[in-house]
Amino acid sequence: MADGALIEAQGLTVRRGNRVLLDDVSFSLGAGQVVALLGPNGAGKSTLLKTLVGLLPFSGGLRLDGRESSQLDRRERARLVAYVPQHSALDVALPARDVVAHGRFAHRDLWGRPARNDEAAIDHAMDLTDTRRLAERSFNRLSYGERRLVLLARALATEARVLLLDEPTAALDVTHALGLLHLLRDLASRGALIMVALHQLNEAAQASDQALLLAGGRLVASGPATVVISAEPVRRVYGVEMVPAAQFGFRMPTQKDSAP
Amino acid sequence: MKIALTYLVLLVLLVGAVALAMLVGHGSLADPTLRSTLLGLRATRVGAALLAGAALATGGAVVQGVFRDPLVSPSILGTTAGASLGGQLAMLALVSGSPLASLAVSAEMVLPLGCLVGAGLSLAIVLAFCRERTGTLTLILTGFILSSLFLALSSFITSLAQDSWDMSRAVVSFTLGGVGGVSTRQLVAASPLVAIGIVACWLWSDNLDLLLSGEDEAASLGVEVGRARRWAVIWVAVLAAAAIAVGGNVGFVGLIVPHTLRPLVGVCHRRLIPACALLGGAFLVACDVIARVFPSRSELPLGVITGIIGAPVFLILLARSQREVSHG
Repeated sequence: MADGALIEAQGLTVRRGNRVLLDDVSFSLGAGQVVALLGPNGAGKSTLLKTLVGLLPFSGGLRLDGRESSQLDRRERARLVAYVPQHSALDVALPARDVVAHGRFAHRDLWGRPARNDEAAIDHAMDLTDTRRLAERSFNRLSYGERRLVLLARALATEARVLLLDEPTAALDVTHALGLLHLLRDLASRGALIMVALHQLNEAAQASDQALLLAGGRLVASGPATVVISAEPVRRVYGVEMVPAAQFGFRMPTQKDSAP
Repeated sequence: MKIALTYLVLLVLLVGAVALAMLVGHGSLADPTLRSTLLGLRATRVGAALLAGAALATGGAVVQGVFRDPLVSPSILGTTAGASLGGQLAMLALVSGSPLASLAVSAEMVLPLGCLVGAGLSLAIVLAFCRERTGTLTLILTGFILSSLFLALSSFITSLAQDSWDMSRAVVSFTLGGVGGVSTRQLVAASPLVAIGIVACWLWSDNLDLLLSGEDEAASLGVEVGRARRWAVIWVAVLAAAAIAVGGNVGFVGLIVPHTLRPLVGVCHRRLIPACALLGGAFLVACDVIARVFPSRSELPLGVITGIIGAPVFLILLARSQREVSHG
């Protein structure tokens, strides 16, 4: 196993019937980085994320924080790997704070008694995602973008070292999308491993250190984001030409911007 | 504050319903020679209605959580019909001449057991056919088909029981639902089942809450989904069986009560389940009072009253859910 690897996949293969959804995917990822998971629609990004969370049966090897994936029970895995799906099935009149509190489930004992630092972890997760203002509002009354932020807060409340996000910026306005990517970088700088499936290559180039490029269930390129998100792999997988300089882009404001 | 007030109101309702049920009915409490007998009889049927109502309402809240569908309940899913069929089969098995009758097994024990097998079997069939992404319509249709099958079999059993006048009356009375003929021994047999069922469901509240997010998300948050669903089904079967064993085939309680309470106490099962137990008990005790005082030649079956109240409520909920779907 690679030293300090939080995720180590070896020949990961997922089949559904006769279809091969992931084909012999191998990689090793350590803490403290944002990893962009790229690829066109149907490339296997969501399948890979679900496999890492333990939602799909697979063949091949998978070690999480040095332990065989198969040896982890559900709660242990949930304390290690948090997941924000692309589409949540949650649609009930539950206060947003209660939804975030679901992230503490794996820390509770079998009687459901709250852990000592539950409240602090929930508050922290809501502060990071700017969702304290939504705390008492019903989840099913929130906008789609607000729901995404609350679900991210739920994942952060798990305090897992590995955070997997499937298209997290899809429904966010530019401010919240940039804020989210900034937050992911911040979490990575504190030692988390963030794996984020993205469609927008410019977002991925801006936010990630490493990138995995999937096509047809196979890993076709991996390495530093600047290398993976370059003309040749992009042309090969997406069939488009990269334009070196966009006409305009966005970034979060700095102190320099607000200076008179 | 709102939740505490709701619980207080529920307690007042329960106490009021029980007090009314003890005071109202055939016979005069003013007669000292009859008073203790009447109070004893009424206490038994109040206890039976309390247990059945609490069990069915709790079971309703749990199946709605497990199937993530507010339109299901033990009666809609065919669980109560399955329990009822199981109970009838158990009664039939006790007819003199059958092998069970020769074992001298008490009817009070066999009836809940038969109901439990019937309820468990029907829920297992629903679970086998309806996975997470099954739509409401499929769920309701599956329940309808199961209910129809169980009712057809029940009719067959009723026809078999016609050889014996007593058995025929007992089977028909059990099928229609009612707490009039419940014995203290039946109550004693059903009480632990209801208590264990409600407490167990309450202890599984966190799992049920997380299942509201769907199986994948619940699993990613640490829920052993298969185990949680299996145990939830077992406890609902226990509750439905105990309820049917003391109250006969009483429908719609598990649908009406959780729906009434969700806007007041929220969807969190840790708060919803105790509230359902309180209101379910109060509701069925009140229905039993109506059954007793309704001017008719004979006492109205309890299932008729809950059906008259429950069916329109179900249709309103169905119409509302279809409106929500069509409005996106």
